[in-house]
Amino acid sequence: MKRARDPEPKARGIRQSMSDLHTWAGLLAGWILYAMFLTGTVSYFKDETSQWMRPEQPHQRDMPDAARVAQRVTATLGTIAAGSSQWSFDLPDERTSVIGSFWRTPGAAAGKRTFESASFDPVTGQRTSARETLGGEFFYRFHFQFFYMPVLWGRWLAGLCAMFMLVAIVSGVITHKKIFADFFTFRWGKGQRSWLDAHNALSVFGLPFHAMITYTGLVTLMTMYMPWGAQTAFRTPAEREAMTSQLSAFIQPGKPSGQKAGLAPVDAMVREAQARWGRDKVGRVTITNPGDTTARVAVSRGEASRVSMSPQYMLFDGVTGKLIDVKDSVGGAAETRGVLYALHLGRFSDLQLRWLYFIVSLAGTAMVGTGLVMWTVKRRQKLPDPARPHLGFWLVERLNIASIAGLSVAMTSFLWANRLLPLGVAARDNAEINVFFAVWGATLLHAFVRPAKRAWIESLWLATALLAFLPVLNALTTDRPLWRSIEQGDWVFAGFDLMMWAFAALHAALALRVARHRPCVKPAGKRAGARATMPEREKESA
Amino acid sequence: MTHLLSIVFCVMAFAFLAVSMDRHQMTVFGRALRAGQSRGFRIAGWCGLALALRFIVGNEGWALGLVAYSGCTSLAAGLVYGGLIAYERFSTA
Repeated sequence: MKRARDPEPKARGIRQSMSDLHTWAGLLAGWILYAMFLTGTVSYFKDETSQWMRPEQPHQRDMPDAARVAQRVTATLGTIAAGSSQWSFDLPDERTSVIGSFWRTPGAAAGKRTFESASFDPVTGQRTSARETLGGEFFYRFHFQFFYMPVLWGRWLAGLCAMFMLVAIVSGVITHKKIFADFFTFRWGKGQRSWLDAHNALSVFGLPFHAMITYTGLVTLMTMYMPWGAQTAFRTPAEREAMTSQLSAFIQPGKPSGQKAGLAPVDAMVREAQARWGRDKVGRVTITNPGDTTARVAVSRGEASRVSMSPQYMLFDGVTGKLIDVKDSVGGAAETRGVLYALHLGRFSDLQLRWLYFIVSLAGTAMVGTGLVMWTVKRRQKLPDPARPHLGFWLVERLNIASIAGLSVAMTSFLWANRLLPLGVAARDNAEINVFFAVWGATLLHAFVRPAKRAWIESLWLATALLAFLPVLNALTTDRPLWRSIEQGDWVFAGFDLMMWAFAALHAALALRVARHRPCVKPAGKRAGARATMPEREKESA
Repeated sequence: MTHLLSIVFCVMAFAFLAVSMDRHQMTVFGRALRAGQSRGFRIAGWCGLALALRFIVGNEGWALGLVAYSGCTSLAAGLVYGGLIAYERFSTA
């Protein structure tokens, strides 16, 4: 009852607590989340990015027949991956120009899962002669496992940040009490108010997407984050295998017999799958114990136009070529996971739906970005001397610059490196990635040493220049300039170049707004003195 | 085509919902509408959203339809929002 008598500590409302939670959960994970959001967003066009980054691989007018490609690639794998217990490769689709493939390293220590990978030309079935690059795959992998750290650590970090994001979304909805009354509200030129309106709009319009993408992001790696349920329920190896088969079409090699036997024609199996699912609806071929009497071939269904990632495949005997089993459905729980997984990746999308994914996801990126910037906008007014902020504020502001403007510079530099690094460089794919991180680090150093407003403007203009000149660089260094792409109807290359200009325009607009920004002077109040001396280093843009 | 039509549907629906709100009536008409008129716009807006859902699910089925609908509504709301900001800026300038 002491509380009731004490007038001082008033119980804090749920909105206030949620607001604090939202602020700090958002800030702590915000820089990583921004990078995850942006690299994830561009990953919706992963295959197109990869095509652009392999300019030697010509524009495909017609899609090659999957069955023939499968036969060619199998033949190649028979020579370069002989003795491997497992081969796996994609089948061509209209968005890819090469066939991605990986196989278990032959003779690797027992129990170790080590894989080698290569990209093949669909026409020749040989290793592609295009430049060595990870392509759009780099952004995709960075999005959930980062780089320069063990893959598992990266995935845990991504999961932790996604959990923070989920907390930020729920607490954000509770904090934002007038979610419907303010639905279309934007108050121009009102400083913090405008930032809040923009942040709310970006969050609320895409709310179904943001909640879905965060939750399903956690679901994609749920067996890693939460293995205990399955460990308790499934104890024997057979039970474990049964569970795995509900989650993945990636069949595991059995014990080889040791007796050699030739592999039956794979093209006939792919044809059977095409007859079942449609000519362009076959996704991947996985072969276990090739060359052995126990060989198995799984031909799995493609991801297009079905909102589920649950495994669907036809299993063939690798020696006789006879169909052994057709896996058409999984249990309810596994199917729920399959649908949520598919929603996250959006690979079922046609071009229009893909663009919708991309645009709303970009709004999500901007949501995180505006949230980060708002943290500083809100606190700058309360600083005793804005010219000399305390360390925490200084650090947040600098990290914001490097993680928002700096990331644009770094990502574009990655594309520049793809065009400029000599083709003969050893481990060229890694060299491109090193350029990405080196440039990102440099933007951070730059943000540390320059005044904040200057750092914003300079990074944004640098990103603008890099983006704007990328199509020019492409025209100079490859034989696929924009005008030729348009002439040949190659909309992947043309679209990529045009998008670079669209992003350049966006960055230029941001840079101009920061440069033109003058802190608004409010009528005399108790902070008027501090405001009058505030140097023009405040960063606020639309 | 289905997506484009749905977006047009949703933009109209959100525009109706926006002008059913006092704040935006001031922006668009310069005065507040009568309660009955506001209610009319609000009903028209929600009906528009429901019709768009019916249309897109009818064309693409529930699985793909719901995904596409979510994208269309988000984009349409953003377009109406941008439109209101632009209208306000240019009409007061």
